[in-house]
Amino acid sequence: MEKRFMKGCEAIAEAAVLGGCRFFAGYPITPQNEIPEYLSWRLPEVGGAFVQGESEVASINMVYGAAATGKRALTSSSGPGISLKAEGISYLASAQLPAVIVNISRGGPGLGSIQPAQSDYLQATKALGHGGFRAMVFAPATLQEAVDLTYNAWDYAERYRNPVMILMDGCLGAIMEEVELPEMKETTFENTEDWCLARVGGRTDSHMITPILPEPALELLNKGKAMQYKMWEMLDTKVEEFMLEDAEYVVVAYGIAARVAKEAILRLREEGYKVGMVRPITLYPFPKASLDNLDYSKVKGVIDIEMTIPAQMREDIELQVKGRCPVHEYGRSGGMLLDDEGVYDAIAEIVKGGE
Amino acid sequence: MKNSFVFSGSGGQGIMSAGIMLAHTAIDMSKHSTYLPEYGPEQRGGSAKCTVIISDDEIVSPLTKKCDTLICMNEQAYRKFSKDVKDGGLLVLNSSRIVNEEIPEGVRVLSVPVDDIALELGNVKVANIVLLGALIGATGIVSKEVLVASLEEKFKTKKPEILELNMRALEKGIELGKNA
Amino acid sequence: MAEYKRPSSLMPMATGYCPGCMHALATRLVADAIDELQQADNAINVVSVGCSALNLYSWKGDVIGSAHGRAPAVATGIKRCLPDRLVFTYQGDGDLAAIGLAEIMSAANRGENFTVIFANNQTYGMTGGQMAPTTLIGQKTTTTRFGRDALTTGYPLKMCELISVLEAPVFVARYALNSVKGVQDAKKGIKKAFEMQLAGKGFTFIELLTNCPTNWGMNPLDTLDYMNTNTIPYFKPGIYKDKEAEA
Repeated sequence: MEKRFMKGCEAIAEAAVLGGCRFFAGYPITPQNEIPEYLSWRLPEVGGAFVQGESEVASINMVYGAAATGKRALTSSSGPGISLKAEGISYLASAQLPAVIVNISRGGPGLGSIQPAQSDYLQATKALGHGGFRAMVFAPATLQEAVDLTYNAWDYAERYRNPVMILMDGCLGAIMEEVELPEMKETTFENTEDWCLARVGGRTDSHMITPILPEPALELLNKGKAMQYKMWEMLDTKVEEFMLEDAEYVVVAYGIAARVAKEAILRLREEGYKVGMVRPITLYPFPKASLDNLDYSKVKGVIDIEMTIPAQMREDIELQVKGRCPVHEYGRSGGMLLDDEGVYDAIAEIVKGGE
Repeated sequence: MKNSFVFSGSGGQGIMSAGIMLAHTAIDMSKHSTYLPEYGPEQRGGSAKCTVIISDDEIVSPLTKKCDTLICMNEQAYRKFSKDVKDGGLLVLNSSRIVNEEIPEGVRVLSVPVDDIALELGNVKVANIVLLGALIGATGIVSKEVLVASLEEKFKTKKPEILELNMRALEKGIELGKNA
Repeated sequence: MAEYKRPSSLMPMATGYCPGCMHALATRLVADAIDELQQADNAINVVSVGCSALNLYSWKGDVIGSAHGRAPAVATGIKRCLPDRLVFTYQGDGDLAAIGLAEIMSAANRGENFTVIFANNQTYGMTGGQMAPTTLIGQKTTTTRFGRDALTTGYPLKMCELISVLEAPVFVARYALNSVKGVQDAKKGIKKAFEMQLAGKGFTFIELLTNCPTNWGMNPLDTLDYMNTNTIPYFKPGIYKDKEAEA
């Protein structure tokens, strides 16, 4: 496997190509511009197509068209652009089209700030668009994890015929780290030939792809999706559980915040404090069991650390803690970054205050 | 051993490329490294800052409040970040642009007039290389040979004079750093 | 004499269109052109939102529904991935000339190699007859009760004229479906646009002036006269751009 020192955005762009992505449409927005810039030359090299859309709205709809052909399609943006794509993402869900959407998130709400923030958790996990659908949301914490999750994202999207989101903040988009790149996946229509518009697999019948359905069929689709979401929870939840065995305090954090928090936890462990961490890798499905099954005879507090204010993951955490211990939160917001000292101080105050 | 470096200045001073070169060289030496740039919204002349972490072990948090070494290319950057150096840390200053500034207590200072030296060498654009050389000369954080190899790689498609100028800038910087 | 039969791209069922609606005729013309070019197995119909969406259920070939106004973006994604297929959008005036104005102009300007069939009936049919971007001055709709007033709502958008000033499009034409001659010309135009697409020439745009007996509040026969006196003088039929003829 090849090792490269890469920028976050470029690493996921390359991982997408290696994972079989052959179409990208997107609109310029900071801090994710390196993704389209990279793919504008890289996709043609592998026989793929790149289109700079006239808008976020057009771009997601180009992805909708490309996904309908059975090819692996990608778009990327940041918070304000994802809001504009919401319509198209909902259409992907109703037409049951697999596609991957990357959000390199920045400070919000509104035009907000171009600096990194984790301010799109609620949008990603609860309401990516109208109509009440869900998408798997992967939240890598390192570039290696971002590469691995992106590389495999279409396998999930195609298995479930559903859009998949990769959510990472602008820090991870901009940071350079060493990554190991996997082998190029063979691009086939294996998972899509039964329904896609491409006439592959020797088919002669025609296919209809539709975002509108007769009412009984729509209800049936929604019932099927509801079962599918349960299945994701059982089969596809990804989580890192760190030093939980004897933990008296449990930090919950994802992405960049989890890395800063982990350093604080290691420091507190050295000082003799029993702190552990639950790091959701899939934000949806949320790793409910990891929090529900904590030993609450030992756990004195759960601390939600996010690079956004107010904390957005808190409700999901509280639903699992069920009042069995206090839930605290600490964060920075608006493009102001978390840092090792601030996070250490926040956790230490709670942990040491509990003595 | 974990070492953090903050490079700061304004856009166009080669802050970001100096940071990337340092991180790259560390990777080439089989160390772990992260490079994190922070930009303002301006395309030119805005503030520029990047953080490089070099470590023998895997890097957990790439975000640090205080750094071991702060490199400042101009006064604005100095005023903004001079408090972010750890006690006992190192300040590397471009003394061509930073004059009469108060130095925080408990830090070591390496002042190098990198703009003037770069001009003497023939091009102010290599000021960042002089600075990187001074940093390496003073700290030995990465090996000169590996950095030279990566510079050769970086400039292999350019005219030979450009590589040669950068090499002279690096040598001069290292010499000044060692003697400081 | 040629046999007059149902085009192979259409389901053996009635369309969902109102009696006398020219959408059904327009759809048929497209399907006929596809048959004549033997493209029934190769065509992809990108359907939009509005009455044109009823095509989803009567179309037998490959078909995809898209969001309101976004059909040219969807077609872009499809055609870039499947360049050998005959791809066309079928859009109404609200869809194409209001909510989808950015998508149509940009796809045309990029010279995407697909065909747009634009049915212009000067109203929003499916939502119940509101003012469209193409509604004529003085025309009564549910949102212009006393007739469209240019002072507050501007003027009807002339899409052929707009698109023909762009560099990239290769064929831009408007036909009125209220006469036998108009229908015959329209069929020829659609076929020509498809042929140009199949030859890889670039973006082709066919505007079809149609009626809406239900929302115009007229019996279908009267709409033919109405179009002669009102629609056609403003939206002049003709070929606005033909790069093949220019060459």
